[in-house]
Formats: sequence, structure tokens, C-alpha cells
Amino acid sequence: MNERKEEEREVLDAAMLAGHILLENGAEIFRVEETMDRICRHYGIESCSSFVLSNGIFTTAGNKREEIFAKVQHIPVSGTHLDRVAAVNQLSREIEAGSFTPSAVIERLDQIQQMSGKSKKMQILASGVGSACFCYLFGGNIKDAAAAFCSGVLLYWYVIFIASPHLSKLVGNIGGGALVTALCTIFYKLSLGDHLNYMIIGSIMPLIPGVAFTNAIRDIADGDYIAGSVRMMDALLVFFCIAMGVGLVFGLLHRFTGGGFL
Amino acid sequence: MTAFCEMAVAALGTVAFALLFGVPAIYYPYCGLIGGTGWLVYSMLVQGFSEPTAALFATIAVIFLSRICAVRKQCPVTIFLISGIFPLVPGALLYWTAYYIVTDDTALAARTGFLAVKVAVAIVLGIVFVFELPQGFFRFAAKKNKQAIEEKGRKKR
Repeated sequence: MNERKEEEREVLDAAMLAGHILLENGAEIFRVEETMDRICRHYGIESCSSFVLSNGIFTTAGNKREEIFAKVQHIPVSGTHLDRVAAVNQLSREIEAGSFTPSAVIERLDQIQQMSGKSKKMQILASGVGSACFCYLFGGNIKDAAAAFCSGVLLYWYVIFIASPHLSKLVGNIGGGALVTALCTIFYKLSLGDHLNYMIIGSIMPLIPGVAFTNAIRDIADGDYIAGSVRMMDALLVFFCIAMGVGLVFGLLHRFTGGGFL
Repeated sequence: MTAFCEMAVAALGTVAFALLFGVPAIYYPYCGLIGGTGWLVYSMLVQGFSEPTAALFATIAVIFLSRICAVRKQCPVTIFLISGIFPLVPGALLYWTAYYIVTDDTALAARTGFLAVKVAVAIVLGIVFVFELPQGFFRFAAKKNKQAIEEKGRKKR
């Protein structure tokens, strides 16, 4: 009897951990709930029910036969690591197919949580490449793209080493927008690029909250209105902050150069 | 020719953002293809139609392909969707709005801002429409493996 209790507790812990990893790394609410349910069902816990918000999970279980279990976990939104989402998804598939013990599941989940993402160098480089590509797509020429590459690289250096560890989301994004605008203006003045606007458009792309925006829409479409609107709010706020940052630097330039610049 | 050149650039850009979001490396080619196709559809349609219409159809193409890839590769659709939709998110319009506000061109700022909202709504509609299609519709894409097909049938999305 006690053993059974112990196992149930372990299963619920495993489900909670799986939900935690999924939610933290950019999965939709729907997927989090479904994966948790599936893990519980597979190990024969029928009474589990979970309520998932954009930054927290509430889980309870318990009826006449099963022990009562309740857990609330706050999950601050951090970066997006879709590889972890894919790995948990794969694991949940394997759980249904094979014979994992609950403790083996927890072990696997711990490994997934430790998965190292791409190195910082790679991320910074990717940001530069992405900026250059989008600068070119939105109308810039090769020279503009090269300048956008430089500012994209510097922007992500700022995001990784200054904004995400030290600054709040709002200030970090305003700073990012301002930094990009300032850098591109400098490049433009040194005539490293021909079109200031396209250079800035390309370089702000790494800041655009694509994940929050897309997930918000999907959550709302699934009927998870609370989580969806929180994520949408998050996305809109970031959009707004980027625009503020860009506007701030433009405004200052406008003032100091007497409007002749823009 | 330029269209395909642009498509290649869009694909490269999509892959770069896929890397930022931590997509596993084996899925890069699919993400690139989806992003490139989305941009191709958008840039072709935008010549004859308004931006929101073009964005709507490009989104539909992106989500359709993403769901096919998700079924085929048996992994979350989010992986393809988030990076594939990136070229369509109205970042450029956002920039122009801020630019016009600062240069005191309020009328143009309002028009551009409203256009950005319309494009965003078009993307929303595209996502919602294609996710309404039942999972069974995408079963043709699954590998010819009976067990996998049955499993997919049980698992929605």
C-alpha cells in the first residue's frame, strides 16, 4: 500500500516536472495539459487534473482510492528552447509505448532540463545572420545587410550579457531598440550602409516577440483565454517597448540636429 | 529569379531564428523551407493584393506546411510554426509607425499602425483557420507506418 502511494507521488512529480519544462520553454498551454494528463493516465492515476496558466501550474489528484496530492508551481517565463519541448514530446511518446518506471521518467526529465542549448557565440552569430537576411528582404542592399549583420551581432551581445541578466523586460527592450537605432545611425553616418531605415528594420528583428505572439494566438484559439491574453499582453508590451526605444533615439537625434537628419 | 533568391534569403533568416529559439538542428531544413515558402507566397501576392490579404495566405501556407512536417516528423508543430511565421510578423510596419510618430507625421503613423494591426489580425485568422482542420486531414503525410498513424490519430495536434 505504501509502495503504491510512493509511486503515485513519483508519477505526479514526473508529470509536474514535464509540465514545468514544457511551459518554461515555449510550449502551448494545450500541450502542457495534455502531456501531464497522459503521463498520469499511463501510470493509472485517473483523478489527476491540472490547471495551467502562462506562468504557473496547479495540479491536484485524489479520490476515494487514490491519495490526495496537490502542488502549485510558479514558473517564470524564461528563454525559448524548443529542443526541450521536442524532447519532452518524444519522451511522452516513449512512455506510452514502452515500460519506463516513474523514477526513470524523472531521471530523463532531469537530463532534458540540463540539455545545453546552442552556445552563446552561435546565438550571437545567428542573430547577426538573421538581421542581415531580413534587412535584405525588406529592401536593403548588400551593404545595408552587412551593416545590419554588425548591429545584429552587437544587439544580441547586449541581450545576452546585459539585458537578460540585469535589466527588466521593459527596460531591456527599450534599450535594445535604442541601441540598434544608435548603432545603425553611426554605421549610416560612416556610410557603411545606404538605407538607414532598412538597416534598423533588419536589426530589430531578433527582439521581435514572435514566440509570445504566436503562442498567444494559439492559446486563445484553443480556448485558454487567460494564458493567451497574458501572453498577448507580453508580446504587445515588447512591441511597444521596441518602438519606444527606436523613437527615443530618433527623437533625440531630431532635436540635436534640428530635424535636418531624418 | 529574384523571387527565388529572396526565398533563399528568407530561408536562411528563418534558420538563423530557428537557432535562436533552440530548434534541434535536424529540423533546420524544414524550418528554412517553410519560412522561405511563406515569404515567397507573401511577396508574390503583395504585388496584386493588399498586405493583410497577402499575409493571410502566406500564413495559411506556413501553417499548412508546418502541420504536415509535424505529422511527418512526429514532433510538436510549434517547432516549425514559430520560426516559419517569423518573416511575416509585421516588424517593419512597427518600425515605420515609430518613425512617422517621431517625424510628426501623425496621419501616416496612424495609417501604418493600423496596417500593422490588420496584418497581425490576418496572421491570427490564418493560424486559427488552419488549426481548425482536424488532425486526421494531415494523416496522408505520416510515414507509412500503421502504428504511427494510429498513434497520431489519438493525439490531437
